[in-house]
Amino acid sequence: MGAPPHRIVEKIVGFLLPPACREEVLGDLHERSEGTWRYLADALAVLPLVIVSRVRRTLDPQVTLMEAFVLCLSFVGAAAYWDRAFVSGSWGLARLSIPAAVALLALKLSDAYARPGRRQPLAGASDAMFAIGMAFVSQAVLLIGSPDVALPLWIASCGGGLGVLLLTLVRMLFPPFADRPVGAAGPAFWARQAGEPVRITGGVARVVKGAGAVLLLALVYLLLRRS
Amino acid sequence: MPRPDSLGQFEQLVLTAVLLLHDDAYGVTIHGKVQDLARPKDISLGAVYVTLDRLEDKGLLMSRLSDPTPERGGRAKRCYRLEALGEQALQESAVTAKRIFDGIAEVWGKEWAKEWGKRWGKEAG
Repeated sequence: MGAPPHRIVEKIVGFLLPPACREEVLGDLHERSEGTWRYLADALAVLPLVIVSRVRRTLDPQVTLMEAFVLCLSFVGAAAYWDRAFVSGSWGLARLSIPAAVALLALKLSDAYARPGRRQPLAGASDAMFAIGMAFVSQAVLLIGSPDVALPLWIASCGGGLGVLLLTLVRMLFPPFADRPVGAAGPAFWARQAGEPVRITGGVARVVKGAGAVLLLALVYLLLRRS
Repeated sequence: MPRPDSLGQFEQLVLTAVLLLHDDAYGVTIHGKVQDLARPKDISLGAVYVTLDRLEDKGLLMSRLSDPTPERGGRAKRCYRLEALGEQALQESAVTAKRIFDGIAEVWGKEWAKEWGKRWGKEAG
């Protein structure tokens, strides 16, 4: 090892690294260090890849899809309730998708930065509030930068509130990977799941069939009413 | 035992590095060994981390944290070890590589194979 890095630089790099891999990556960077600048260059090259890898490891595609759906539903639903013309107006849906996309990105990053094995009972709610909080921050930035793209206050507030509720529900039902009992040595949850067939019990099948039938009847009724 | 996924070239390099390093396989040493195996290509440490994570997810590697050491600023190493599935995947890759070599040697002639054999021998030596 050459010269050790400056302590403050090392602290900043440590802060930016996801906690799950902070210890070993900081140690490796320290061992390779040949001065602060070289350390910084090394860290800047490693950081994005380590974060992306951590996001990939903690990401469950099915749950992420559900989260994206409830976020879109929240903002579009709020807009449809308060101002129906806004949804069908020019760029209405695109403007509504901005806070949803920011909230989803914040959620995935918070999963990647979660401490493995240390989760509070109300973590689902706090994750949801953090994600919607970041969506509000993005709206505040848009209000300053280009107000035409930002959402009206009522739509943003109601969409955010609904988003917190629905997102909390999804997070409580499907907690992130970091909380599931997966050892560092074991294969990822999705890899283990791939080998096992999905079991649908009789009760669940009946509920799904019932919900499908109700949905179909509602659709037929709406179509008949329209014609 | 389940059949392992086929490996990419970089995954093969990382698995070979872990195999060669025995108990001393962690980020820095694996990166050094991969750099050595892949020369003259320049390999980034980040790419090695990403691949190690992926191989661990596939069940080809397992890892554990070692005790902290002073030369690492009092931080632990994450040491990697090949799983049985990883050994199997690496064996299959080696067999495929041998077949590729034999196929090329059949077309380009024995002289070419001899010359390459000498070059590899020199590099290994």
